[in-house]
Parts: sequence; structure tokens; C-alpha cells
Amino acid sequence: MNIAIDDKVTSAEKTLLAQLAGREKALADSMLREYGLPSRKVEAYHYTDLKALLGQVPPLAGPDLPDSIQRTGMAGPDFAGSLKITIANGMVASLPEPAGGVSASEVSGSALGERKDVLVAMNRALVDRGLDIKISGKTGQILHLDWQLQGDAVHVATSVGLELEEGARAVVVETINGSDQAHLANLGSRARLGAGAELTHVIIDVSSKKVTRLHTVEYEIGRDAQLHNLMVNSGAGLSRTQVFSRFAGEGANGDFSGLNLVGNDQHCDITLDTAHGVANTTSTQKFKAVVRDRARAVFQGMIRVEPVAQKTDARMMVQGLMLSEEAQVLNKPELEIFADDVQCGHGSTCGELDRDSLFYLMSRGIRREEASAMLIRAFVEEVLDSVSDEQLHGELSAIVQAWLREGGDGVPAGKDAGK
Amino acid sequence: MSTPMLEIRNLRVQVEEKEILKGVDLVVPRGEVHAIMGRNGSGKSTLSYAIAGRDGYEITDGDVLLDGVSITEMSPDERAAAGLFLAFQYPIEIPGVATMTFLKAAMNAQRKARGEEELTTPQFMKEVRSASENLSVNREILKRSLNVGFSGGEKKRAEVLQMALLQPKMCVMDETDSGLDIDALKVVSEGVNKMRDGGRSMLVITHYQRLLEYIVPDRVHVFSDGRIVKSGGKELALELESKGYSSFDKVAGSVADGAAA
Repeated sequence: MNIAIDDKVTSAEKTLLAQLAGREKALADSMLREYGLPSRKVEAYHYTDLKALLGQVPPLAGPDLPDSIQRTGMAGPDFAGSLKITIANGMVASLPEPAGGVSASEVSGSALGERKDVLVAMNRALVDRGLDIKISGKTGQILHLDWQLQGDAVHVATSVGLELEEGARAVVVETINGSDQAHLANLGSRARLGAGAELTHVIIDVSSKKVTRLHTVEYEIGRDAQLHNLMVNSGAGLSRTQVFSRFAGEGANGDFSGLNLVGNDQHCDITLDTAHGVANTTSTQKFKAVVRDRARAVFQGMIRVEPVAQKTDARMMVQGLMLSEEAQVLNKPELEIFADDVQCGHGSTCGELDRDSLFYLMSRGIRREEASAMLIRAFVEEVLDSVSDEQLHGELSAIVQAWLREGGDGVPAGKDAGK
Repeated sequence: MSTPMLEIRNLRVQVEEKEILKGVDLVVPRGEVHAIMGRNGSGKSTLSYAIAGRDGYEITDGDVLLDGVSITEMSPDERAAAGLFLAFQYPIEIPGVATMTFLKAAMNAQRKARGEEELTTPQFMKEVRSASENLSVNREILKRSLNVGFSGGEKKRAEVLQMALLQPKMCVMDETDSGLDIDALKVVSEGVNKMRDGGRSMLVITHYQRLLEYIVPDRVHVFSDGRIVKSGGKELALELESKGYSSFDKVAGSVADGAAA
């Protein structure tokens, strides 16, 4: 990578600036003009140099719904009996009638709050109408937000705001899927959890490998509220999911977990910033990556404990499994602790499939590919087993299975195999 | 004379470019149980891994034939499907792989490789139930991840259970007695003895004579410095026990007594 590139306005930046022209919010425009897309010199983007990685930016999605709903090779995920809202190229296909404590509407502007981050600024500038969902009471039904990127390659900016009222409980699953084109998606998801609310929030990207997905997720977790977050990525050629989470009320708990399943030339980044802003809050972070071919999986996790946030308990574990010589797992756990009576820990491991285990399974007659698949499934199951909803767990297992199949013989064949 | 079940011819094996096996010759006829005795570091485990086809065990010379067919170019799973079973000295713990899932995968993989019908779940469950009853295996442990949280005895019993389910032609047992108390040793040995049916052959690797009181071998081979230095009947084990291995060291390097049965 050439450092001099920073001084040059890239083709992607030029297109983005043209698309921002005439938009009300000036921050995105000025950030792009002043700093450009973040390069690796920007700490938060150190492993995901958007200036270098973001190639052509497709035209902004028009106001019309694409009439064809094509899916990529992978079917689903679909959830029988769910309340499903399809948002194709940023347009809501149809809004359900308010029922069962869920009320969805369209509002003007993005759900994301102001933040000095160019992805957030662009989302705020480009989203005309966002989805807004209020949840009261306890819903047993899965709320499925089906983000579709359809038709020819488009730049889609869209957002959803989730508001869980006091004591509400919900399972919200966002899936990203669509046509096999080089779409650019700038998604924003924001969830506010009122006192005692419980949200299971799952984000699944199974979009085409040509897609670039830039996704900002914001959480505000109120008093005694419970957040269970899970992000599973097997789609998109380039993705950056950045999560900003704030513990705003005592007794709040957040479990964050994720699975990056990548191959070929995919680059998949999950960056998580959890801020413990009051006393007596807890968080766990469990992230795993399985990487084959020349792909890269990035995880950056920051735990911030503010001076008032005594009795914080925060744990982070990051594990990477590399299935090829050229696979890369880049993990950066960080702690910033300004309170003195806290418990915080982090660990990070990275390795290949265990050779002893592989030999043991093969010595019982199990072929190398199947033995590898068994070990990979065992590795990822540790993340998935926190999902108690059986249907959801089943869909997630199916995604893992599809990813394993997709690899075919890309699942490791050691050089010294089969002697 | 019929084809031996296992025939090892002048086997030389290197691990990390160091020669460990220095010309092993061994014949185990059909239906016989042979024991290999040797002190730690003599290369006994290397022999078992080389037979099973572990990565990194490089055969520089010689051949291994299972039922008359050379297996040295086969992968470990192909050797298993051909009828070979290695009972591990230290069975590997694999968190996240359910024991039952593993057992079914192994049984069906072998059946598939041999062109046989795969087992249905009820058939499989029935086989596991009857085998675990025969071997006094606590079925509770089968609900856990493979070998995870198993005691030493449970691990070895689980190895014998796998052996019973997979019905191999040739079993290689690597230090099956290590880590077993006397009661567990009896149970495991009983399980092994039940599988002696006149057709199946076994190679029992150990450095204590004790195991051979329970699994009585047809032949005993003394292993030293990467080869067999003496072979004899079961009384050879007793001789070893009284004289110790050092009395055989002088034999090493001279002409070995071959392994012809």
C-alpha cells in the first residue's frame, strides 16, 4: 500500500462526494473533503483501509422498488411464523399493521445518532426515510428485517431504529441478502433498550461476495436491561460492522458475539466499542472467525470503563481458526479502564485445526474433509449455542453448513495429507 | 499358509528427520494376538502411528500389508475402512463433537467406503446400546463431547467400545493399560477378549507384563531401539518381567530373531 495515496482523492471518494452534493447534512461532505475515506493511518480502521479497499461506488438506489426479488445462491434464511419486513434497496415493501406489541413506521432521516465517523455521517446524509419500530410487551414472534440489495449494483443507505419500551422483550433478526452484484450498502441499526427490556438482536450477512456492506450498530442499554447480540457473516466481499454500545443504566447487561466465516478474497471486519458509563453493569464478548483461502477476518474490541462505572464486569474472548497458509486473522482486544473496582479480562487465540484431533477422527474412518468440518462446527458451535431459539439456531447451523459446503475441498488438505 | 492379517517388512520410519524405526519385521497371522513389549522411547508408539498413517511419520523404506494389501499409501481413514483400528494410548478430547455424532459418523463413513448401506438412526442406537452393555460403558458419558470429562478408565473403555462398533479386522492397541487401575484393566481386557473370534487379529503394545495376564498373547516380541530384537511365546513376557529390558539390549543390533510366527 502506498502512503502517497492518502493525498489523492480516490475514484470512490469522488463518486461519494458527488452523491452527497445537495444533501442537507454537511458533516459527511466535509469529513470526506478533509480526511477522505479512513485509511489504515486511522486507528479505528487500521486493518480495514477503506481508502484502499473501496473500489467503484455504484449509483445511488432510485426511489422505485426493483420488481425482481432475486436471491443469491444461498436460499434463506427464512423464519416460519416470523413477522417479516422486507426492505429492498432501502425501500420498505410493505409495513405490517401494528400488532402483538410491534408497531413499525417510516420516519424521515437516519436512526443513527451523530458521530464523528464518516460511515455514520454518510448514512445520516443519505438516508431519506428510515424504518422505526417500537416494541412494547413481550413478543414471542421473531421480527425479521429482510434487507435486500436487488437488481443492478446500487449504493443503498438505509437505517432502522428499534425502541424497546420498559420491560419489553423481543427477538429481532436482520438478514442481508440480494442479487449477485457489486452493491454498496451503508446500513444503520440503532436499538434503545428501556428499563428491564430484553433484546436478542441477530445480524446475518449472506449477501453476494461482490457486495460491500458498511454497517453501524448502536445500542443504548437501560437499567436492568439485557442485550444479546450476535453477528454472523458469511456474505459480502468487504464488510465492516461497527458496534457502539453504551450501558446507560445500572444492572444493564450486554452479551456480544459474532462469527466471521470467510473465504476467497473476503475481508470481514467487526469492530466493537462497549462503553460502561454507569456502575454495576456487565458485558461479555465472544467472537470467532474461520478463515480459508486468502481471506481476512478482523476483530477489534474495545471495552471502556468510565470513572463512575465501578463494579463493572467485562469479559472478552476472541478466537480465530485459519484453514490456509494465506488466511489472516487480525484481532485487537483493547481495554480502557478508569474505575478501580472492576473485573475485566480479555483473551485472544489464533491457530489451525488441531492435528491430533484430525488424526483421531480420521483413524476411525472419517474422511479428512468431514473430520475438518466436524472440528470447524465444534469450534463455531460455542458461539451459536447461546442462541436458545431453536428455529434461529437451526438457520444459523444451516449457514455454517452451507459455508462448509461452499468451501468444498477448500477445507484444508494438509500438504502431508494422506500418506 | 493363508495371507497374514498384518505383515510389516523392513519398516523404516523417520519423524522430524530422525530415524525411529530401523527395520521392523513382523507378521501377525489371522486370528492371533501378538504383544510388543519395550521400554519407553523404544519406538513402540511410533510403530502404531506409522501403521495407522499419522502425518509426519515418514516411511523411508519397507512396507505394511493389511490382509495382503499394502496400506502405506493410504490415508488414515482409508486404512480404517480397510479394517485397521488403533486404540490410542491417550484418546483425544474433542470439545464440541458429541460422542454419539462421532460414533455414527465413523461407522457410516466406513460402511460407505466399503460400499455398504449406511445405518439408520434406530439401527445405530441399537448397536450402541448393546455394545455399551457388553462393555459396561456408562451411557451417560456418551452424551458428552468426545472423551471430554471422561476418566482414564472411561476413555479406554470408550476406545474398546469404538472397536466393538467398528468391528475391525486388525486392532492395534497402544499402551491400553496405561492409566488404568486393576478393575478398569479387567473390564477393558474382558472387552478385548470378547472380540477374539479366531478371525480378528490384534497387536497389543505395552511395557508391562501385567496387561498380558488378562489379554494372553499368542506371541510376544521384544522391541528395542526401533526394531524387534526377540520373539517368543507368552512365556517371553515373564522372562522380560524377571530379567528386565536391559538383558535384551545386547541383542539389539545383532541379528534379530525375526518375527516369523
